[in-house]
Amino acid sequence: MSDTSVTSPPKRAGLGSLGFALCVALLALVPWFTGSVFHFHIAIMVCLGAMAAAGLATIAWVGQLSLAHGAFVGIGAYTCVLLVTRLDMPFLVGLPAAAVFSGAVAYIIGTPLLRLRGVYFVLITFALNELFRLVMLEFPSVSGGSSGIAGIPKISLFGWELRDQSQVYVFTLLMLAAVMALLWTIRRGPLGRWFSAVEENMALAESSGIPTARTQNMAFVIGSGIAGFTGAIMAHYIGFISPVTFAFQLSVSYVIILVVGGRLALAGPLVGALFLVPLPEFLRSAQEYQHIIYGVVLIIVLRFLPAGLTALPGKLSQWRRSGE
Amino acid sequence: MSFLIAQSLINGVILGTLYLMMAIGFTLVFGIMRIVNFAHGEFYMIGAFMALIGVTWLGLPYAATLALTVVFAVLLGALVERVVFRPFRSDELSGMIASLGLAMILQNGALIFFGPDPQAFPAMVSGVLRFGDLIIPKSRALTLGIGVVVLIGFYVLLMHTRFGRGLRALVQDQQVAALYGVRLEIMYPLGLGLGIALAAVAGALMAPLFGVSPFIGAAPLLKAFIVVILGGLGSIPGAALAALLLGLIESFTSSFVSASAADIVTFALVVAVLLIRPSGILGRGEA
Repeated sequence: MSDTSVTSPPKRAGLGSLGFALCVALLALVPWFTGSVFHFHIAIMVCLGAMAAAGLATIAWVGQLSLAHGAFVGIGAYTCVLLVTRLDMPFLVGLPAAAVFSGAVAYIIGTPLLRLRGVYFVLITFALNELFRLVMLEFPSVSGGSSGIAGIPKISLFGWELRDQSQVYVFTLLMLAAVMALLWTIRRGPLGRWFSAVEENMALAESSGIPTARTQNMAFVIGSGIAGFTGAIMAHYIGFISPVTFAFQLSVSYVIILVVGGRLALAGPLVGALFLVPLPEFLRSAQEYQHIIYGVVLIIVLRFLPAGLTALPGKLSQWRRSGE
Repeated sequence: MSFLIAQSLINGVILGTLYLMMAIGFTLVFGIMRIVNFAHGEFYMIGAFMALIGVTWLGLPYAATLALTVVFAVLLGALVERVVFRPFRSDELSGMIASLGLAMILQNGALIFFGPDPQAFPAMVSGVLRFGDLIIPKSRALTLGIGVVVLIGFYVLLMHTRFGRGLRALVQDQQVAALYGVRLEIMYPLGLGLGIALAAVAGALMAPLFGVSPFIGAAPLLKAFIVVILGGLGSIPGAALAALLLGLIESFTSSFVSASAADIVTFALVVAVLLIRPSGILGRGEA
């Protein structure tokens, strides 16, 4: 991404990070304090949004923005649901299969796709997302057509069905933690350094001996695999999927979560989802304005906080210092 | 059979003209401002609502309504440039993401203001024109006629006026254009306004044929995308060729195969062109 004001991951992982982790942990406990089923539902949706956006973030770390992310969530959802309902596989087989299959699709189309950069990559992923919807609608025997697949069984682990929202929440929270841990490991390892080298300066990375094409493809495969993983959980929690579920709008919502949270920060997807997913619930009385508010928030963040809400504390202390 | 071919040909040309109006505005905005405008379809929708307000609420004649739509759209474009797009001039990706936000604001604004239901638009003309076996409804002929006039007017403005020369210079090289005295502060808002006005006029022209609702912008936006990808982002001759091609492909595939096949064929074509020749059929190599 051409944004130069964005700094690489902050090195001073001291008090700030600790405080942030504490805040997130406290927020994660909120549904238990209130005990409301509805709050558990919101919390699950936050986790799912953060997880999918984390996949999108992985792709953003090599400097690409995918508008086909919703389609990969869809590929994972359909993979898992079809395995569970048609072949009677357990959910715990379908879930990794969803991630692997989404990743495999990304691997196959990634090589030709990632030759394109910037807006051209965005445009082709936009076209592919649309193509996914159209093709799925053409095969109702697989996708259920425009009426979709309803009555998807609930998530079950070793024959134990997660009936309660609170149980699903614990499971989703653990999965989100696993995804974030994976990303944290990647960022600290050599692959993470390759990612940021490719993102910052492709030509320089290439001439330093980094296989840029393979690095980008790796990020695309990991990110899309995470999308498929999210899709499987989402499908079995909500219980209904159709090709329209995974249309352009879903991809856009993930872009908004990521951009508002912060494109290049590890915590970006978390912050974005925590802020945006519950937002409509606080605006109950003004529900029809919900999307308008999303749009306004997006434009304002892009304009004044191009590195996202995660950069807000840094900016604030900067303003305070310059104000003195 | 030959009758069916000729009929498909005419329908294809009508479609192509409308796609061209959408695509030229879209590609002009990209050429001048380097912004892939995801909100372009919403200006088509706004144009259609402008026409509805002019004709049914205010009782104005159709021609006056169209003229008012153009003026309003240019002003709206200048405002949007100032408020939304100006900070992202040098940043293609952020500008594009901002346009996603703008699209949400405009569509849901229209939803609150006009409600979700499609609204009927009174027919401007009725009856059909006959040429031998061929039948063209007069309403479509009117749309086609005005569309062609608007496009010719736009061509003259772009190719034979000082303002048009400035715009074309901007598309070629911003800095050199500025050095030669092209005033960016005027050209950016007007360029965006002009691009948006073309979309709004297309919406106002299509309103009598397809009705009006807050959701009508999505399909034309998609067509504009397809056309500019096939023709090359920023290339107007490319857009002209691709718009006609797309209109004909759609009209023939839906006459002889099916409508959903037409969509799949065009999207597959888009993916193929982007992979093989990302700069489009007639575009300049830059991707």
